[in-house]
Amino acid sequence: MSDLSLLVQMGFGALLALSVYLPLRCGQLSLATPGFYVIGGYVAALLSTRWPALSGDGAGYPLTSLALELVVAAPVAAAVALVLGRPVLQLRGIYLAIATIALVEILRVLNLNLAWSGGAVGIFGIPQPFAGPGGYALATWVLLALVCWLCARLEAMRLGRAMAAIRDDELAARCMGIPSADVKLTAFVISAVIAALTGVLAAHFLNTWNARQGGFDASITTLAFVVFGGSRIWLGPVLGGLVITALPELLRPVGDLRLILFGLVILLGPILFPQGLITPERLARLQQTLRRP
Amino acid sequence: MQAGQRSRIAVALGAAAALAAGLAACGPRAEDQPLQLKGGVPVGAVLSLTSNANAYGQDQQIGLKLAQAWFQQRRNANSQKALELNLRLEDGGGDEATASQAFNLLIDAGVVALIGPTLSQQAFAADPIAQRRGVPVVAPSNTATGIPQIGSFISRVSAPSTEIAPLSIAKALQLTPSIKRAAVFYAHDDAYSTSETVIFQKALTDKGLKPVTVQRTQLNDQDFQNQITSALRESPDLIVISAQAVDGGNLIRQLRELGYRGAIVVGNGMNTPNIYPICQRYCDGILIAQAYSPELDTPVNREFVALYQKAKGGAIPPQLTAQAFTAYQVVAEALQRLNKRQPLAQLSLGEARKALMAELLGGQYDTPLGEISFTSDGEVVQQRFHVAQVQMQPDGRSGRFLLLP
Amino acid sequence: MWPRCRCSQTAAAAVSCCFPEPGVVHLLQILINGLASGAVYALFALGYTLVFSVLGVINFAHGAIFTIGGYLTYLLIGGAVGANGLLASWQLPVSLPFWLALALAGAGSALVGLGVEAVAFRPLRQRNAEPLLYLISSLGAGVVLVNLVQLLMGAESYSIPASTLAALPSALAQGGAQIRTVQVLLLLVATLLVALLTLWLEGSRGGKALQAVAEDPVTARLLGIDSGAMIRLAFALSGFLAGVAGGLVGLSVSIAGPYFGIGYGLKGLGVLVLGGLGSVPGAVLGGLIMGLAEALVPAELSGYKDGVAFAILFLVLLLRPQGLLGKPVASRV
Repeated sequence: MSDLSLLVQMGFGALLALSVYLPLRCGQLSLATPGFYVIGGYVAALLSTRWPALSGDGAGYPLTSLALELVVAAPVAAAVALVLGRPVLQLRGIYLAIATIALVEILRVLNLNLAWSGGAVGIFGIPQPFAGPGGYALATWVLLALVCWLCARLEAMRLGRAMAAIRDDELAARCMGIPSADVKLTAFVISAVIAALTGVLAAHFLNTWNARQGGFDASITTLAFVVFGGSRIWLGPVLGGLVITALPELLRPVGDLRLILFGLVILLGPILFPQGLITPERLARLQQTLRRP
Repeated sequence: MQAGQRSRIAVALGAAAALAAGLAACGPRAEDQPLQLKGGVPVGAVLSLTSNANAYGQDQQIGLKLAQAWFQQRRNANSQKALELNLRLEDGGGDEATASQAFNLLIDAGVVALIGPTLSQQAFAADPIAQRRGVPVVAPSNTATGIPQIGSFISRVSAPSTEIAPLSIAKALQLTPSIKRAAVFYAHDDAYSTSETVIFQKALTDKGLKPVTVQRTQLNDQDFQNQITSALRESPDLIVISAQAVDGGNLIRQLRELGYRGAIVVGNGMNTPNIYPICQRYCDGILIAQAYSPELDTPVNREFVALYQKAKGGAIPPQLTAQAFTAYQVVAEALQRLNKRQPLAQLSLGEARKALMAELLGGQYDTPLGEISFTSDGEVVQQRFHVAQVQMQPDGRSGRFLLLP
Repeated sequence: MWPRCRCSQTAAAAVSCCFPEPGVVHLLQILINGLASGAVYALFALGYTLVFSVLGVINFAHGAIFTIGGYLTYLLIGGAVGANGLLASWQLPVSLPFWLALALAGAGSALVGLGVEAVAFRPLRQRNAEPLLYLISSLGAGVVLVNLVQLLMGAESYSIPASTLAALPSALAQGGAQIRTVQVLLLLVATLLVALLTLWLEGSRGGKALQAVAEDPVTARLLGIDSGAMIRLAFALSGFLAGVAGGLVGLSVSIAGPYFGIGYGLKGLGVLVLGGLGSVPGAVLGGLIMGLAEALVPAELSGYKDGVAFAILFLVLLLRPQGLLGKPVASRV
């Protein structure tokens, strides 16, 4: 079952990578993903531990309650993203990155200090909707498939093309009549919702939730997912998230050298594959070779 | 590639993974298989060997190694057919996910019991997994409230702060009866420190010493001049600290450098020689309540101390090492007893785990910590606690925890 | 030393009987506290900003180089490795005086900085890669360095003996306010380093060339400046500054293990942006402001300290994205 639970964590990695990828598709380097992940986790942790009506008749946590948490977490995250998005998305490049890191940090400090979050100890004994990691794997990968489908659809839609245009040249895009501020905000909100939904599943999966979840390290790691996998097509971040989450676990047999090797992979990834592992061109070539018997 | 194709790939990807997950969940259950005894009874340990909790994991790892050596010695000396243990150690990192994954990995590998994880926060994430899968856990270092209550398979040999913390306050008042004004410091982003400070503050209030000021610090802080100057304006004559080794050590050093001369009581997080290099000569005189005393004069502790000194060039073993040793000893002895009564080879893995838990909780253990046993909850019952005072060498580099009578 | 009060009824009375103007003293103390912790931030951010000014990218391995500076200083003054690393109980045959050790540790860290440049930056620069990639490759370099330190030296903490400053009192007091001597030292060294750096940048050919590369690499090349050499110079200087900062901060608060410098990474980044990315005086100003902002948080609310610092950063970003002393830049990642 360790394979299954690793599969769950890899799924979380891929989801968070997609959450970073969406704003990046329109050129926005937003690192707020861990913040929304934390919000989603708290929504799940608070609802499931403080609202007895959700626990059902005692035999396992009902799936309907889990669904309800997902339904609550999504608009909460979307609302926060809408309010913050307008002012924040005026910033560009590294400034946007730092501003979102600052937001995540402010959220962490609030969670540490406010009573309802359980402070540093956090919330524990979160009830289990699934009997084992198998159920989590199913739920996570269904969510991942949905988000992948959404991203793939998006890339074919007007909105997706508008996002790509903004990434290439925002000024030109605006001249062509693309409402760049709205497009960027939409991407930011979708990104927030993906992260929050992931947080809901993660809180149940981890059994406990506290202020240490998410944060600066998580911001950088999720960014590494995208850069490593490639940020031109949705398959890139998915692969990056899966591989980089799994790597430290798969490297366990090497013992003390584990994190050194992990660091080397992160270091060499961008150097050997500056466009990321997966690029549209590479994918097309792969498809051609497959088609030719 | 067309977008339609891509979305089909997405759906196919998800379906394949979901199918894989479903299939894997229906495989034969390891719990029903007979226990694998080749190479020894498999026992797992999950310690923080990387991340910034690594200093603790390192202390604990030595404890487990010494315990292994100790049992090997005894086996050789008795030349009787005692059970052999096969310890498998995994890195639990400093976060919840890594510790949980290590637990899962070892449970899948068929261990009969688990030792760990290092941090209480990790325990809240990983212990429920062991509980659901019916694997006994002996925690060597989790002191937060509520750990054994996670479930029937969870126990610990690390006495909770509720038991120990008040002792050092009482000792400080006994040494300096004139104490009137107590100030409290604690690392507010640390689970262990926030639960311990509640107990300290209650103990102070019970003695009629309501804290004149409570200062919050953070684990990553290294400069405490703000909090210190603000606390010293209240002219306290007792300062009580709940923090970890590094931040706490720096706090003490800076308190003394900024002229505080009164008594200092610290909690369990600083119960390690790792504080010596941080507060150096300023560590001298601080009071600390301990669950372990290297000076306990029993055969098992003498042997433990001797083993440690041989391995570490004469140093004095810290509590974390002694508790890790004890955790291994508890598991090993319970396994021997169980095997004598009901040979393990005849049990399935699931049965062995269940029987071991019952055996473990029912036993009495003569350990480096002294005589210990467990409540039915899995909470440790320890006969003796100690209050020690740090005594530094004049060079300020090394020191010892001197036991107070 | 803090004057010990004889009359200790209530807090307020105690303060007022000892000091005629408690308000002024308190304010002075806050100022001093802010400068003290700000000096550390500034020291950390100096080398950080230097690389940014030249390459326009952030070097996430900076914290790891800072850590290495601390460990090198410890080894050079003759400290022995603990029992847990591969180098267990190893010790250099020499025991240098602190200031010499610090300078050599700076030199060693400069070499590490050059190594990081060669491995994590140069290959990307040669391909004209996106700035985002440097972030990740340098992050990887940092992870490797930190874990290498743990493998070799173990996870325990090391201290540079307090007796290094034996001749000095442990704290200085002025008019009721006080400060640890080490922190004064840190503040002085930070000021000295920034002064030297500014003088060199503004006054020497090398410094001017470095600025030219920072301003516009293409034109600089046309002017005959070897931009590769200038970038290596920036990394060496940045490594030197990181190493010296690591040794000094190690003297002040001990080396808390391999993750010693990583903890400053986040705040260092904040300081960098607050002062203005790529601005050397800005890094110092940003550090001091960050320190002061934290010191101004009242003690009862000290749990919110880190939040306040980042809230200020956030506001500054919204109002003046280029930072306090930064030049307005159109768009640069």
